Amino acid sequence: MVIPLAHRGKSLLMQRNSRSSRILAGAFALPLIGALLASCSSAGSTGSSTQDAKPVTGGTMVYASGDAEPSCLDPHVGGNYPQALVASQFLESLFTKDSEGKIIPWLAEKTEVSEDGLTRTITLHDGIKFTDGTKLTAEAIKKNIEHLKDPNTASSTGYLAVGKVVRVEVKDELTATLKLSSPDNALLESLSMPWTAIESPKALERDQATNCTSPVGTGPFKVASWEHQKAVNLVRNDDYVLPVPNDQRANSTSYLDGITWRFIPEAATRYAALQSGEVDVIDNAQPDTIASAADAGLGHLDAPRPGSANRIELNSSKAPFNDQKVREAFIRAVDANTGVGALFFGTAKRSYSLLSSVEPLGYSDEALFGTDTAKANTLLDEAGWSERDAQGYRTKNGKRLSVRFPVSTNQSVPAEQSLFEQFQAQAKAVGFEVKIDLLDLSSWYGALAKHEYNLVSAPYTKVGPSVLRVLYHSDSTVPAPSGYFANNAQVKNDKLDKLLVQAEETEDEAQRASLYEQAQKIVLEGYYVLPLYDQQNHFLYGKNVHGVGATTAVSSPIYFDTFLDQ
Amino acid sequence: MNTLAWVGRKVGGALVVLWLVASAIFIAIRLIPGDPAEAIMGGPGSQASAQALAAARAEYALDQPVITQYLLYLGKLATFDFGTSYSLKQPVTQVMGEVLPNTLWLSLMALAAAWLLALCFSALAMRAGRIGSQVGNLLEIIAAAVPHFWLGAVLIMLFSSALGWLPAVDNGTGHGLVLPILTLALPLAGFLTQLMRDSLSEAMGSQFALAARARGESRLKLFWRHGLRHAALPALSLTGWAFSSLLSGAVVVEAIFARPGLGRSLLSAVLARDIPMVTGIALFSALVYIVVMAISEGIERMINPAGESR
Repeated sequence: MVIPLAHRGKSLLMQRNSRSSRILAGAFALPLIGALLASCSSAGSTGSSTQDAKPVTGGTMVYASGDAEPSCLDPHVGGNYPQALVASQFLESLFTKDSEGKIIPWLAEKTEVSEDGLTRTITLHDGIKFTDGTKLTAEAIKKNIEHLKDPNTASSTGYLAVGKVVRVEVKDELTATLKLSSPDNALLESLSMPWTAIESPKALERDQATNCTSPVGTGPFKVASWEHQKAVNLVRNDDYVLPVPNDQRANSTSYLDGITWRFIPEAATRYAALQSGEVDVIDNAQPDTIASAADAGLGHLDAPRPGSANRIELNSSKAPFNDQKVREAFIRAVDANTGVGALFFGTAKRSYSLLSSVEPLGYSDEALFGTDTAKANTLLDEAGWSERDAQGYRTKNGKRLSVRFPVSTNQSVPAEQSLFEQFQAQAKAVGFEVKIDLLDLSSWYGALAKHEYNLVSAPYTKVGPSVLRVLYHSDSTVPAPSGYFANNAQVKNDKLDKLLVQAEETEDEAQRASLYEQAQKIVLEGYYVLPLYDQQNHFLYGKNVHGVGATTAVSSPIYFDTFLDQ
Repeated sequence: MNTLAWVGRKVGGALVVLWLVASAIFIAIRLIPGDPAEAIMGGPGSQASAQALAAARAEYALDQPVITQYLLYLGKLATFDFGTSYSLKQPVTQVMGEVLPNTLWLSLMALAAAWLLALCFSALAMRAGRIGSQVGNLLEIIAAAVPHFWLGAVLIMLFSSALGWLPAVDNGTGHGLVLPILTLALPLAGFLTQLMRDSLSEAMGSQFALAARARGESRLKLFWRHGLRHAALPALSLTGWAFSSLLSGAVVVEAIFARPGLGRSLLSAVLARDIPMVTGIALFSALVYIVVMAISEGIERMINPAGESR
């Protein structure tokens, strides 16, 4: 499979121009290339006279993140979303996603795979340099994959993403071949994520503490300094080379002089700082502020993350959810639509799919999830939970129909916690006792590792449908040494396992889509999961900010096109 | 008891307290769920390999018996070795040293502001009539009772969002310090004023005050010259306690106003199960408390040596 790049830019540009600018800014996160190429014509920003705003060079943008400050800026280490958000400014990946969700080369110029699917050849663009002056060569691919696979790096996300790569061979200056243990049609998607971004091999030779404070990449910005708890200071990469040439911005550098990347954990403080103009962009915008930001004329970027949708998983490995009837009864008992609409102020769209709406191969079936309390009651009677105790909860052989629901206050925003409390009340009406435990992240992972849960909400971000294998293959019920496992629903189904493996190995796109559809049907129809909405990823920005919209493959924004009113 | 013996007793007592605190921290941390090795290898949910986890356990002596770990821990503390932060991979003392000045500065400013406010409130209360005094009393009680996180949020909504007078987060101009200082100072000021109120009215109604009034001194002058002196003593002796309470208030205030500081370090260290960091900050706080209390006791000794009874 070879992906030719000629004229790709032009076709994307045309496609971009056919869209209205307002839609671009308000509703769509445009993946990297489309927005890059379109940036000069007009950059959208709801609420201000953006159509005519002319790009101006200069100024430092202040970004306020609501996430905990990463302990390491190198997304190879660990590998979480806050790292991806900041690293997207100074690191780039071999591949990225176009506006239709298709994977296309970025730092790579072209790629092909052998007949048997076990050798993947990647050729890099010539003339790209890391910000430490090192040239981007095939050696960098080798060093980066080795860095990810090195246990001392302690990579989680990137490590899994390159799991099938056995070794990397340097063929010539710009060409590397990746030897795989089995065919992996998700490899390019895996290599499009910031957690596998390419860093300077020279910089990687430094000790980890140093590399964590100043990772070196090829991106439009570079890390100038990191004042702990205060800010990561990013400055323009004056030697930036746009890997994919573009008529308007060829060999151009970012408009911004730099970005001050701050961490403001309190949502109210963050929004107040945006309103008063102390900061220009905020992330983790909460539903209520998104609604009021529209009235205040602030810009809004809605960039749902790829991978899984936010959903509640039902632990099928133990009672009572080892009985499909009880699982369906719970799902039929709750009314997600009303709750999502009211608590999220219309900012989150209800999902009926395992996968994010940005995943082209996501399969959706609304009919499975209609609220039906009569049916829920019948199902529970059939399952033998027919008695009721003094408090009105159902019982079976004297045991109460009680389920534990550990909720991470780190992963579930207040609106989601309220939604779960509504579910608790609705499930009580049919006789479920739902015990919600609000936990910090470590305790929450601890509860999962000890199997002290019947319900859990644990979103997973990954590019492409292969996330289904991570989440629903029976291998993922086997805990890692830390106790972590990804298959929280504890789905163990031979047919499903086979479909997921086959889907990852086939070279035929249509067959891949069909296999993933069958796999998703098995999980959805087995009532292992209650889908809720996409993983919410909302950004708000000031009236003075233009050109927000370009993102990486994992929907983390890139501020290469962004400029400020002077 | 002579001064030397007093100092000796204080130092001995401090060491015992520090040992107890260190032991309490050691036990408490082992009671929280979560694997320290996991915290070292990238935090909760890490997918570190078995070898990597084993290596981390060996490196930090987590594979040793608990009693060995405890003795190692005490031995390191005795040599002022707080170890390396699990999450930041930097020496704990270095991380603390970087952020400590911020917290100290904030706490000292808040203490000064609280005293200033308390003096103003007291002076106002003297001039106010019966109803005014009652209203003042109520406001002081409310101020003393409001939690920092609530007060901080209200001040941001009022002065930053609605009025736009003051920044919610520090922008380097110094204006950003105003709201955090107020958030810390207002409850303390309410508390101090309450303390001063009783002794103040007692002093103002005393024989010497009456005599001064008869000499023709104004009420305000009387307040400054006599009443305050009398009234400030109980509040002054509580300043040591007040300073320590400001340090703990800093945990909340630094999070709300996104300020770097010891409180914020402690919060993230607890969430990340960063044991060396938590231990270092907790021990340091205990030390500050001991030192400040000793100083205020020493001052009392100097002012009032006759009152020495211990």
